[in-house]
This record gives sequence, C-alpha cells and structure tokens, in this order.
Amino acid sequence: MTAGEHERALDLTMRRGTEEIGAPDSAWLNSHLSLCPECEAFAADFDGTGRLLQAVAVTASPSLVAATQMRVRARALQMQEREARTVLIAISFCIGAMSSTMSAWLWWRFGGWVAQRLALPPSIVEPGVFVVWTLPAVVIAVAMLASSRPVIDRSLTMRILEKQQEGGRQ
Amino acid sequence: METEEAQIARGLRGRDPEVLDALIEQYQHRLLRYLLHLTGNRAVAEDLFQETWLRVLEKGHLYDGRNRFVTWLMSIGHNVAIDYLRKRSPASLDEMKDPEEGTPFEPPASGPSPFDVAAEQQQHERFNAALEKVSPLFREVLVLRFQEQLKLEEIATLIRIPVATVKTRIYRGVAALRPLLQGGPQ
Repeated sequence: MTAGEHERALDLTMRRGTEEIGAPDSAWLNSHLSLCPECEAFAADFDGTGRLLQAVAVTASPSLVAATQMRVRARALQMQEREARTVLIAISFCIGAMSSTMSAWLWWRFGGWVAQRLALPPSIVEPGVFVVWTLPAVVIAVAMLASSRPVIDRSLTMRILEKQQEGGRQ
Repeated sequence: METEEAQIARGLRGRDPEVLDALIEQYQHRLLRYLLHLTGNRAVAEDLFQETWLRVLEKGHLYDGRNRFVTWLMSIGHNVAIDYLRKRSPASLDEMKDPEEGTPFEPPASGPSPFDVAAEQQQHERFNAALEKVSPLFREVLVLRFQEQLKLEEIATLIRIPVATVKTRIYRGVAALRPLLQGGPQ
C-alpha cells in the first residue's frame, strides 16, 4: 500500500460522520481498513475518542445565561446611547463651525470699526478683539482636556439599569 | 425565502435584543463546552462566555449569514479565549488549569444501575483528566470535530490554519488519548 492510500484513509476516517462520503469512497475505506491494521487501529481510536467526547455533558447554568443576557442588553443600550450622542456631537460641531466662521468675520470687522473710532492701529485691535472672542472657548476646551473626569458621570443607561434592578428586587 | 443564517445576520446588524437572547439560549451549552475545553477552568470559561457574547454584539454587523452561525460564534469564542490566554499565560496554555478545582465537567446523569453509573462516571472522569493533559491545540480540534460536529474545512476556517494542520492535530490528539482508550473499560 502506498502512503497516498493511508493518507486518503485517514482523511476519509476524519470526515466520516460530519460530511457526506460517496458510496465508492466508503467502500474503498472499508476495504482499506480491513487490509491495513494501522489505519484500522486509528479509526477505532478515532471513533472511541468521539464516543467519549460526545458523552461529556457540559451545561451552562441558568444564572450564567440570565447574567449574560442582561450584560448584552446593557451593552446594546450603551452602544445605542453612544451612537445617538455621537450624532448629536457631529451636528453640534457642524453648526458650531458654521456659526464660528460667520461670527469670526463679523468680530474682525467690529475690531476694525473700534480701531477706527478710537484711532488705534487696526493691526493690534482686530486680532485683540478676535482673541477676546475666542478666549472663553479656548479656556473651556483646555479645562475639559485637563480634567480626567468624564463630563457626564452617570450615563442614562446605568440609571435605567439601576431602576430595572430596583424594580426586580421589589 | 430568508434562511435562518440570514435572519440571524439581520438581527445582529440591528442589535435586536430578542435575537441575541434567543441565540444565547440556543448556543449556551455548546459555547461554554468549547471554552471549557479550551481553558480547562470553569470560572474562566464562564467569564469568556459572557465576553464572547458581548463581542458578538459589537461585531455582529460583520456576520454576513453566508456561513453557519455556529462556526462564526466559535471563531469569536476562539479569539476571545486566545486573547485572554495570551494576556494571562503567554508561556503555556496548560498553566490555566486550576489544580485545586475538581473535574470541571458534569457527568451525564443516566444509567441502568448505581454501579453502571459509578463506572461510567469514573470512565468520564478519567477521560476528562486525560483530555486536560492533552495540549490545548489538539484538545480544541477534537472538541470542534466531535462535540460541535464541524467539518474539517470549518475547523480550519475557525482557527485560521490549513486543513492539513487540522488533520495532523486530530491525529496527534487521538494518539495522545490512545493509552486511555486502550486501557479503560469500554
């Protein structure tokens, strides 16, 4: 017998049971196993391992399943909330960017007008007014970045879940 | 007509809680059994079980419904377990086993007589003990082949190895369990 035949026998043995094996292949395998003690021993061990493994019963406890379902639902809520928040932030950013662009031009012009009225050099007053205009936003941004705490400590999701848990206890 | 896989894919894309609840119910035992064999520790397997479902929720949009859901689920479980084992024990996956823990598997509760039940239980305990000694690489393919009834190609896709390597691992896994099979009562 050739090495290719042994290899084919092992392949068919491993596929038997989970895959459709044609009648000619099945007949060839049976014939080979009856002639080859080595392959026959492997097939017996293979089937024995399968029988023992299939007899091993592992069950998940109902509490594990319930806890998993609850965690998955909570995470789904969090994800929905996060997505909604992202959309709001994106819309806010677009509106903010548009209004900033428009108002920056107006404030620049206002600086020029003030400089003209007070007879001051426009090259100083215009940027000065612009800096004063942007200062609050810069200060708030720096403060938010410097703070390690989230802006919203307790999310809506957690509050909903706590209410659900309290309801469940009652 | 929409196939079951297509329905699951649609439910996962929409993060439908009813679909997810039903899937957790349906695949609870299979997933836990796979993770338990992979890690050898029930507590760890239960943690990974929850983590796997959370990842199913997060990656659900990637499931296209073309392959069987169970294969995709097991591949998520495989990745979760591998991530955990890498973090916890990069040197040896076998170190994950808790030596003080008893047999992690529940023996089947059936038998014609107490003696037969005890004998069967002893046989399963011996088998479980032997199985835990087998390398996790071999144990994994044996579990996927025999317990999950996956095809060789599906196992290869799931673990991301060639089919030839799957066959080699099955062969070596069976060989590692041979002494028990030949020595124990049948």
